[in-house]
Amino acid sequence: MDFSLGKAQMQLIEELDRRFQEGIARRAVDADREERIPPESWRDIVESGYLRLFHPKEIGGLGVDGVTQAMAMESLARACGGTYWSATMSTLLCGKLISTFGSLERHRRLLDPILSGEQLGCFAVVERTSGSDAGTYRTLVRQKGDEYVISGQKARITNAPAADIAVVLSRLEDTPGGDNPGWCFAFVDLRQEGVRRFKLPSMGLRAMPWGGLIFEDARIPKHDVIPVPFKEFAEGMAWGWLFISISSIAIAESALTASIQHASEQLSFGRPLGHMQGIQAMLADMRTEIDAARLMAWRAAWHRGEGRSARELIAMLKAHATEMAVRVTQWAVQIHGSWGLTRDLLIERLYRDAPMNVIGGFASNRLRELVADSMGLDSSPYEPFDWLAPTGLAHDPGEPPAASLARVSG
Amino acid sequence: MDFTFSEKLAQLRDDARSFAEREVEPSAASRDQGRRWEPELFTKLAERGIPGALLPREQGGRELSALETCVLLEGFGEGSGDAGLSLAAGVHGLLCAVPIWKLGTEAQKQRYLRRMASGEWVGGLSLFELEGGAAAPNLTARAAKQGRRWLLHGAKAHVINAPVAHHFLVMAVTDPSASPARLSAFLIERDTPGLRIRTPAEPMSMRTCPSAELLLEGCEVPEEALLGTEGAALSEVLPLLLALERTCLAAPWLGLMRALTERTARQAREQELFSRPLARFQSVRAMLADMKTRCELSGDILYRAAWQLDHLTRPPRRDAAGAKLFISTSAQQVARDAMQVHGLYGLAPHHFVERAHRDSMFLTVTGGGSEVLRSIIAGSLLNLG
Repeated sequence: MDFSLGKAQMQLIEELDRRFQEGIARRAVDADREERIPPESWRDIVESGYLRLFHPKEIGGLGVDGVTQAMAMESLARACGGTYWSATMSTLLCGKLISTFGSLERHRRLLDPILSGEQLGCFAVVERTSGSDAGTYRTLVRQKGDEYVISGQKARITNAPAADIAVVLSRLEDTPGGDNPGWCFAFVDLRQEGVRRFKLPSMGLRAMPWGGLIFEDARIPKHDVIPVPFKEFAEGMAWGWLFISISSIAIAESALTASIQHASEQLSFGRPLGHMQGIQAMLADMRTEIDAARLMAWRAAWHRGEGRSARELIAMLKAHATEMAVRVTQWAVQIHGSWGLTRDLLIERLYRDAPMNVIGGFASNRLRELVADSMGLDSSPYEPFDWLAPTGLAHDPGEPPAASLARVSG
Repeated sequence: MDFTFSEKLAQLRDDARSFAEREVEPSAASRDQGRRWEPELFTKLAERGIPGALLPREQGGRELSALETCVLLEGFGEGSGDAGLSLAAGVHGLLCAVPIWKLGTEAQKQRYLRRMASGEWVGGLSLFELEGGAAAPNLTARAAKQGRRWLLHGAKAHVINAPVAHHFLVMAVTDPSASPARLSAFLIERDTPGLRIRTPAEPMSMRTCPSAELLLEGCEVPEEALLGTEGAALSEVLPLLLALERTCLAAPWLGLMRALTERTARQAREQELFSRPLARFQSVRAMLADMKTRCELSGDILYRAAWQLDHLTRPPRRDAAGAKLFISTSAQQVARDAMQVHGLYGLAPHHFVERAHRDSMFLTVTGGGSEVLRSIIAGSLLNLG
């Protein structure tokens, strides 16, 4: 076990920090207000090499280890949460899924523009019917001649309004004679007639494009549909959970940095706010909670960097770290007083950004169910759950207790 | 950054766990009920190299690093389910022995360490020593130099191992006029005239750990009893005590949390409510998921603090304080949730779940209670000094 950081690693991260803080961070307030990523920010990301950090050298990546990837993610996320989500969704989710489930010869042509930043990708999973209940998803890919077509709707998808390409989790129609797992990842070119998009306004992470995709027989070349057993899809979600957890850690760290500064400078009753034990307690809990979550995130990133799944660990991490950031931003608002309630200032934005991560990529309720499953506590979420009625415990006689008592004693 | 849990670490943990399961756990409930210390049991621990783990091999120790010791004690905690015995062994082998190893004269090291590693002599220490100069005036001792001897006077409460200890590490104020206080550390043996052990009322927590009050009434000790530099205990001894208390002494709770989580998961699978296993109820599932998460988080933050102790000349105080704060609040939460899931079965006195819940109360009030730890961490963040 070794908790030290390498010199080259630190240099890379310091360089990214400097670049992202000088440019992207300074535009974060405007990005949030205008609900868009400024083009200069996208240029900063491309020039920094960020998009290539998550991929091996063979496909044009930089091949850095898992923990360095995690640190780089946090660096961008600290500059601007919405920008981070958009860029990382494209390269890490969309890009990784194509490289993992696709083939190099056939799909390099899709990967190159994602890694270069010329194109933006998205990962379309949830539908209007339900977030984590995939059983309700209706989007369907079916064969038509020597290609495929896709019909259906995906909603609440990062990058949907602006993306060039989508990796879509879709049902796959049965064909005679084949062994169809029933599901597929479809690599869909979004710039075609059969694709329409819509925007959704969000509470936080407003710089990030967010909305939905409507497919009406949109066309997909034959080799861009990859049949996938449903349980494989969890593998894709795991990258998402890791990157969302890091978003939360970054939000919390930014909130703490600002709170320390505020507590040091704001005078109250003749002393800096930081002299008050109540404020100290919050700052200390923030520091400790962030440290614990970050170490777990680095451990998860380290596992994945070495090719191990760590899915159970990442599910635990996502449920915990995202809720942690909500607690931390709540404390940060408290410490900042009215400054925490003022729009266009940092803390208020962080407070709105934090809940997005708790729900995005599956709400923590669902994640706790998955963790419980992994502990051998079997349960099916589809089981009816009306256990209380037969026990008589919930029975309400419908008359005031005083009246019935009077009858008994009288 | 490398999170590999090496074969050596896994072996240390597994061996300690299976030893504790076999030798310690079976008597834990009964020792908790009767508040009983079994010297033969402590000898067995010593034979397995548990109390003396950190000490050098030439003194009968295993020369383990802080990280390795944490992992060993984690295994011990998980297998034994006995927080009290873990505390007794930790105070003896870490808080009492390590200052002798690091600060003692050759004569002191030769006299005490080997016999402490072997379990022949048990060392004791008041938990109030961990408060350094902040300990209340009526809980400190005074030491006055008289020729070539020291005369000590005072009282120490919550002296761990007092009823069975051969010697004590005691800090006493040697210059009452100085501010901040100048404290010196002494090694005082039980049979010294003027030293009295007074057993207080029955504690509700950590009952398998012997503890009592130590009264020093005109207790005379030779010059040679001074440990370290006169007047410098706060800068020499205290940092050692705190560093070890926040890492290795907290480590058994990592194992206890895992044991509580595993036991509770088993209960959830086996116990039925309204014809279904508890494991089917979403509230129970959510609690268990959080318990498991707490175990995982606590491991990382503890191992980091221990690693820093091994590798950095100046380990950041706030990281060790943070580790203790996180583990103590997590352990209390996990123990509380375990009680909740066990329902009425959890109320069986002295058995593991109930015992662990009571024992966990101890964690946030001593050795730097949570409030003190928070102020230490915040002070470091705000450069309050």
